[in-house]
Amino acid sequence: MSNKDLNPEVSAHNSAGPETGKRYFIRLNLSERLQHFILFACFIVLAVTGFMVMLPEVVAQAFGGASETVFFYRGILHRIAGIILISVGMYHFLYLLFTRAGRRWLIDMLPRPRDLKDMIFNMFYYLGFKKEPPEFDRFSYKQKFEYVALIAGSIIMSATGLLLWTEYKWSKFILDIATLVHGMEAILACLAIMIWHLFEVYLLPRKSSISKTWITGLIDEDEMKDEFAAQYKKIMDDPALQKIYIHGEDPADQKAKTPLEVKITDLARIH
Amino acid sequence: MRFKSLMLIKPYCLAAILVILYVGNAFSQSDAIPDTENCLLCHRYPSMGRFDKKGIKRIFYINDKKFANSVHGNLRCKSCHVGLDEIPHTDIKKVDCSTKCHVKEPSTNKEFSHINMIEKYQASVHGKGNKAKPISFPEDLPTCKDCHNNSMYIPFSGMWGKSEALSNETLGRCFGCHPEKQWAKKFYSHFTQRMRRRRSPVEIIVLCTRCHEDSEKMARHGLETVDTYKDTFHWAQVKFGVENAPDCISCHAPVGYTTHDIRPRTDAISPINPANRVKTCSNQGGLQTCHPGATAGFAGGRVHAYGVKAQMVAGKEIADTENLDMSLVRKRAESDISAQEAFYYTILEYIRLFYKVLIGGTIGFMCLHQFLAYRSGRRKHGKTG
Repeated sequence: MSNKDLNPEVSAHNSAGPETGKRYFIRLNLSERLQHFILFACFIVLAVTGFMVMLPEVVAQAFGGASETVFFYRGILHRIAGIILISVGMYHFLYLLFTRAGRRWLIDMLPRPRDLKDMIFNMFYYLGFKKEPPEFDRFSYKQKFEYVALIAGSIIMSATGLLLWTEYKWSKFILDIATLVHGMEAILACLAIMIWHLFEVYLLPRKSSISKTWITGLIDEDEMKDEFAAQYKKIMDDPALQKIYIHGEDPADQKAKTPLEVKITDLARIH
Repeated sequence: MRFKSLMLIKPYCLAAILVILYVGNAFSQSDAIPDTENCLLCHRYPSMGRFDKKGIKRIFYINDKKFANSVHGNLRCKSCHVGLDEIPHTDIKKVDCSTKCHVKEPSTNKEFSHINMIEKYQASVHGKGNKAKPISFPEDLPTCKDCHNNSMYIPFSGMWGKSEALSNETLGRCFGCHPEKQWAKKFYSHFTQRMRRRRSPVEIIVLCTRCHEDSEKMARHGLETVDTYKDTFHWAQVKFGVENAPDCISCHAPVGYTTHDIRPRTDAISPINPANRVKTCSNQGGLQTCHPGATAGFAGGRVHAYGVKAQMVAGKEIADTENLDMSLVRKRAESDISAQEAFYYTILEYIRLFYKVLIGGTIGFMCLHQFLAYRSGRRKHGKTG
């Protein structure tokens, strides 16, 4: 539970619900949430089973007689999670090219010169030199930075991981590079996820909670105005975008429940 | 009344104690060889020992039952401890494992000694050299007792069973034809002792690194320490206790070689000579077929991560210290590390540096950004966000 969930003001704000006329916006559709969920599960398994190799001798031997079994399953799990992650990556690539939502995602995610300007202005805002933050579109420079890093990191980790898996085919020099890059990239990825992504979605003080977006795919109107003002304005000016991004506007969503009581089954809710 | 009952019980108690003593004594003596030299007259006392001239505690106590169950349990004391005719022992000589120990070697029916192994060992990289081929600092090189003690036979367990029951059942079948049980047990133990590795991979690493991680000792012989082995995936398996994990002898004395005949990389018959590497890495015919499809490119590389020698050849300055004279290492580095390996090392170092800068820069920027974001968020939304 995040600190936002404990905040009575925020809870009261959240509990207003659709009956008070508050709109909910679709941030992640079912496919995107599933991709995120699989990626997140694989990432944790890969990080835990990967860094186990670097455990100090004393800790490695603390498993006692089970050490060998632990090491065996570590290797199996690491490979399974790696294959799933590569498969999700390939699916995501096809999703970007062959689905409407994917193409919208790709276009919205492409880095633009405006992102650099946004970052500089946002830093000025953080430092108190500007009164208002820049108005972000669907994906801010923070998310684009993270997304590009994720794509690059996944390709590097997959390639070096596959080299290490088929070690006997390659020269030792190639394997030395693969080992070094795989380890360093893993450290970078884990630190980046903790400092950039988890901090961003869970620890930053904000108006309301977005910690359940990865399950429900929704954010409320206040959050939308606060975090993605440019996108909010675009949606409100364009009925076609309202049909896509406002929860309940699409006839398929009419029966959708309020997102206030979030359950794991919400993953299956279609937007 | 009470006294009378005690009187009645007493003979039974006495008889029981005598029976227990007799049986216990008989059982304990069953495996022990007869002490024909009467050494145990003194050496049976656990407190027997002294401090030598160096102040090291020496224990001279012999547990006869344990000794009988050891690999040398069928030998008499004087088979190895030659001399010892005077008491107190002033004519003591160091044990020489090449001594003929009055045991017939069954395949040749000649008197047995470890001379075959010692000759091989002397020709190996660990040999002390001779007049024709002198070696500097011979005192650094390991002797028999640095690696071996009089180890105990332990019950064999393996794919057919995990307990002493396996030995009992197998020996039961042996006794049918070989009525001399003590002989059969020794023979069985001698054989089964060699069906498994005596030391686990971790124990091997500990044993070898006692010398090979001693930088001063290594530098005296122009060698670098092997601590870079612990940067490899081989070590990861060893530290997790994986059976048959690749330790020192897996590559330096693989199947078909003996640990007594470890040879340098430049020796044509060495398993780590470039010409023999594919066979060594694939370890065909061994318990663990490590890299069955190993190619020459894979097997041709350096298994230990690059160490001091590669750094030297790549131009990094490694300074001598008060106790560490690196001149011989520096000299040997030029012949041990090729220009190509030095180039590989340099490339790897640049990649490492690139990642250090990337991680430092990226994470540093992220920390600063998130700190400012947090401070700004608190200003706008209050402490709890």
